[in-house]
Amino acid sequence: MTQTTQFRVMDFDCPTCASNVERAIESTDGVESISVHYTTGRVEITYDEDAIEPAAFERMIENQGYTPQPA
Amino acid sequence: MLPNRLPSDWQRYYAQHRTAIVTVVTGLLYAGGWTLGAVTDADLAGAGVLVVATVIGGYDIAKHGYYELRNRTLGIKTLVTVAAVGAIGIGAYWEAAAVVFLFSLGSYLEGRTMRKTRSALEELLELSPDTAIVRRDGSQVEVPAREVRDGEIVVVKPGGKIPVDGEVVDGESAVDQAPVTGESAPVHKTAGDDVFAGTINTDGALEVRTTGTGSDTTLQRIIRRVEEAQEAQSPAESLIDRFASYYTPAILVLSIGAFAATRDAMLALTLLVIGCPGALVIGPPVSIVSAIGNAARNGVLLKGGAHLETAGKIDLVAFDKTGTLTKDETAVVDVTGFDCDADQVLRLAAVAEKKSEHHLGDAILEAATDRDDTTSIAADGGEPSGSRRPSSDMRSDGGAVATNPMPAGSGSVPDPDEFDVIPGKGVVASHDGNEIVVGNRALLAAEAIAVPDDVGDYVRERESDGETAVHVVRNGTVVGIIALRDELRDAAPDVVRSVKDAGIRTVMLTGDNERTAEAVARAVGIDDYRAELLPEEKQAAIEAFRDGETAGKSGHVVAMVGDGINDAPSLATADVGIAMGAAGTDTAIETADMALMADDLSRIPDAISLSKATRWNITENVAIAVLTVGLLLAAVLGNVVHLAGGMLVHEGSVLLVILNGMRLLRH
Repeated sequence: MTQTTQFRVMDFDCPTCASNVERAIESTDGVESISVHYTTGRVEITYDEDAIEPAAFERMIENQGYTPQPA
Repeated sequence: MLPNRLPSDWQRYYAQHRTAIVTVVTGLLYAGGWTLGAVTDADLAGAGVLVVATVIGGYDIAKHGYYELRNRTLGIKTLVTVAAVGAIGIGAYWEAAAVVFLFSLGSYLEGRTMRKTRSALEELLELSPDTAIVRRDGSQVEVPAREVRDGEIVVVKPGGKIPVDGEVVDGESAVDQAPVTGESAPVHKTAGDDVFAGTINTDGALEVRTTGTGSDTTLQRIIRRVEEAQEAQSPAESLIDRFASYYTPAILVLSIGAFAATRDAMLALTLLVIGCPGALVIGPPVSIVSAIGNAARNGVLLKGGAHLETAGKIDLVAFDKTGTLTKDETAVVDVTGFDCDADQVLRLAAVAEKKSEHHLGDAILEAATDRDDTTSIAADGGEPSGSRRPSSDMRSDGGAVATNPMPAGSGSVPDPDEFDVIPGKGVVASHDGNEIVVGNRALLAAEAIAVPDDVGDYVRERESDGETAVHVVRNGTVVGIIALRDELRDAAPDVVRSVKDAGIRTVMLTGDNERTAEAVARAVGIDDYRAELLPEEKQAAIEAFRDGETAGKSGHVVAMVGDGINDAPSLATADVGIAMGAAGTDTAIETADMALMADDLSRIPDAISLSKATRWNITENVAIAVLTVGLLLAAVLGNVVHLAGGMLVHEGSVLLVILNGMRLLRH
């Protein structure tokens, strides 16, 4: 089943930072699409819930050095 | 438990303020190391402290730089890391620490200011209350707002925020709708009025029947729309992003080339530091987000940066007449009978129009029932009274008619036996053996009904006053004229003047006849008008303005102001479609490029001026960025500026464009 989840990242400090998070997550198995918006800090991920847990995305965003908040 | 709580609080505090703490520590170490080296002879100790400062300040930067590389991108953090490591490598400890410190400070300030622009949206998010008091099984229970079901009655106390979208069923209060519509004055609400989640009930208790909760409220739709708008890339942004993806690698190649040619490591490293087009990439989005956030707070929804850029170029504004320049309440101002009693004329017309659902028909019906209520005329189908010509000129008070909101007594107007609506012309009906025709000149011509000269003169006279005159015909003879007027909005003349003062051409579009249009156009002081237009002709008129009306004249950038439903095709055809009174009508919010939440015409000059200011602001930001990069490149290649100086100017330019963009928040 395809699911969509959202996070808000308030500490992006440059547009490249946002696209880095996008690149890091989009290549993960189970992720169907991701959009990261620098200007609003909104991260929207569409994923296959049988392949990946939403908590994993939080860790991945943290791994890139940013703080995800629930949106 | 207590010992555990303290570290976790500290950890959270540290996580939240990490950049600030790291920046301060790096700054202190940097100052200490520099002092040691400069004031004492302890060069080695000073260098040591500077290296520690570089490592502490550079750790996060290097980590991000590593992620950038792993994602196969080349960003500023990678470049700064290479520059800092390189500087230590050639013994430039002071420069290494300075670069790291300045970069951290810059990032921290950038993050802080960006959060401020993002928070324009958060203010909207905080408006909606979390809980609602609902009447269930005879008692009042407090439940989470999103769990209220449609149709349930929500009780809103004075001073409380309204938690759901709905219709007032009981109570009376002034509601502060500023969060949704941007209107500064509270709006009086009684039974039958719509209210919006997130607005504030000021002085009376209200009971509201729920029509929307959770994400299905006007406020949530606004928030979603604002967010989408802020995320949509404008043409300028896409262009710059493409440029940026070539710029950084180009600088890298230049840096390696410079090192190969001059063997000057410092020069090569400095080039790396200025190799990120920071201000250029960050400038336009900050301008656009600030402008869209500002507009949203004032009740103007913008679809995106692209529309903002187009709106900044508007040089012609087309206004729809009815409901846009005029109030949405057409009222009968005069009924004149010709060889017929005025009350009788009104009554005949009311019967014919009873089922027409046209706004003029509604006004006639309202006037007729109002007459019934006040004078209680029982006569139905009575004989024409006397042979005065023209006869009793009955002035019915337009204001009194308008305040009668529901044609409650419309039951007293009998149904027509037969009726037929002729679009754009009027109605043909029969009742009690009489054939009744109510309509304009075109309808009478089509029905081959002669208009006596005195009637024709009278109609032209009323039209010259900006009124709409409707002929009432019984069995082939014109028996009377009903004059209707829609009042100009108070703000209309001022709005038209400010738009004209901004050097923009103004045009009015209307389905009304030439003379009425001319009179209204004169009253609002509009440049030009197009009358007797069918809806599709309005669209064609907009197209003509866009293409340039006459050969050899270039087209206009056209904005069209109208309501979101009837004028939807014209709004879509215009370069910028501006929908009025969009709160509550979702289609308007979805289709318009710019939606005014309130019926407030005076937002238009503000919105246009904000758009123009945004275009300027973006241009300024691009100019600042390009100039900075150009001058820096020249200065670095000319050996005037080195590592730390380059970093300082680079970070300074980024902050400058952010602060410049944020000016739009307070435009």
